[in-house]
Amino acid sequence: MLEILREAVFGSLINVIQIALIVIPLMVFIEIIKDLNWLRLLTAAMAPLTSWMKLKKEAGLPLVAGLVFGISYGAGIIIQAAREGTLDYRDIYMINLFLVICHSVFEDTILFAAIGAAWLPVLVFRLLLAVVVCLVVARFWPSYPEHLFREGQKAMKNVLE
Amino acid sequence: MGWSTILRGTKNGLAITWELARVIIPVFFCVTILKYSPALPWISEHLVPIMQLVGLPGEAALPLVLGYFLNIYAAIGAMLPLGMSIKEITIMSVMLLLAHSLPMEAAVAKQTGVPVFGLIMVRITLSFLSGMFFNLIL
Repeated sequence: MLEILREAVFGSLINVIQIALIVIPLMVFIEIIKDLNWLRLLTAAMAPLTSWMKLKKEAGLPLVAGLVFGISYGAGIIIQAAREGTLDYRDIYMINLFLVICHSVFEDTILFAAIGAAWLPVLVFRLLLAVVVCLVVARFWPSYPEHLFREGQKAMKNVLE
Repeated sequence: MGWSTILRGTKNGLAITWELARVIIPVFFCVTILKYSPALPWISEHLVPIMQLVGLPGEAALPLVLGYFLNIYAAIGAMLPLGMSIKEITIMSVMLLLAHSLPMEAAVAKQTGVPVFGLIMVRITLSFLSGMFFNLIL
């Protein structure tokens, strides 16, 4: 019994310390990304992907935010965009679909790398899977014509004003 | 950028470590004790047919279920005492990364105004299919 307790105490502590040693520098790195505003740069890099999925270019920012910082952060930006009327239902659904498959890529990947998983194939697979699933769904879900959406948005604004 | 950035990052990192420790340590304890009791072998024996599909031992169902319903931290806490191989840990990681914290993340997605039942089904299906795929290629 004592042997089992010792295994539990040392095993859990060593593992938590190991994970802490990786998670703390990672969080510093993420704060640096936020400060240097790299999110904008990454969003620009996402432009081909959003256009493949026939999403508005405004969809790039919540996608990148979710990929880097996690699903709650991405959702915050989606809710804001939905309020401002820059994204329609299809955009919002597609962003959600992409992000439930693949999000917080740094934190999640590093957690599993810390316990010994082969992290690179898992990361590449997860990204590819999100892209493929979204492209397939996008193919069968035609987007609302952009010009109609803009007109509707303008009309809505006129009504509100 | 400067010291305040580093300080903020360190604070967030410590907060995450605390969250993680609070979950991992008790789960690690429970699973270590379960491991030496007759309960875990009994449960795992009954789950072998399902877990075999993804190349995992029966007892791996425990961290998988914890990950689906609670979060990744709980799953990791339960995986560690089981002493899995690199291949098994990698299969677990892909399955868990595709589907985890399902109730919590569904609530977050719901906030953006989309129906979430389909999204949850997509995640669980992809989780199992990907587990089978990794079992084949690794």
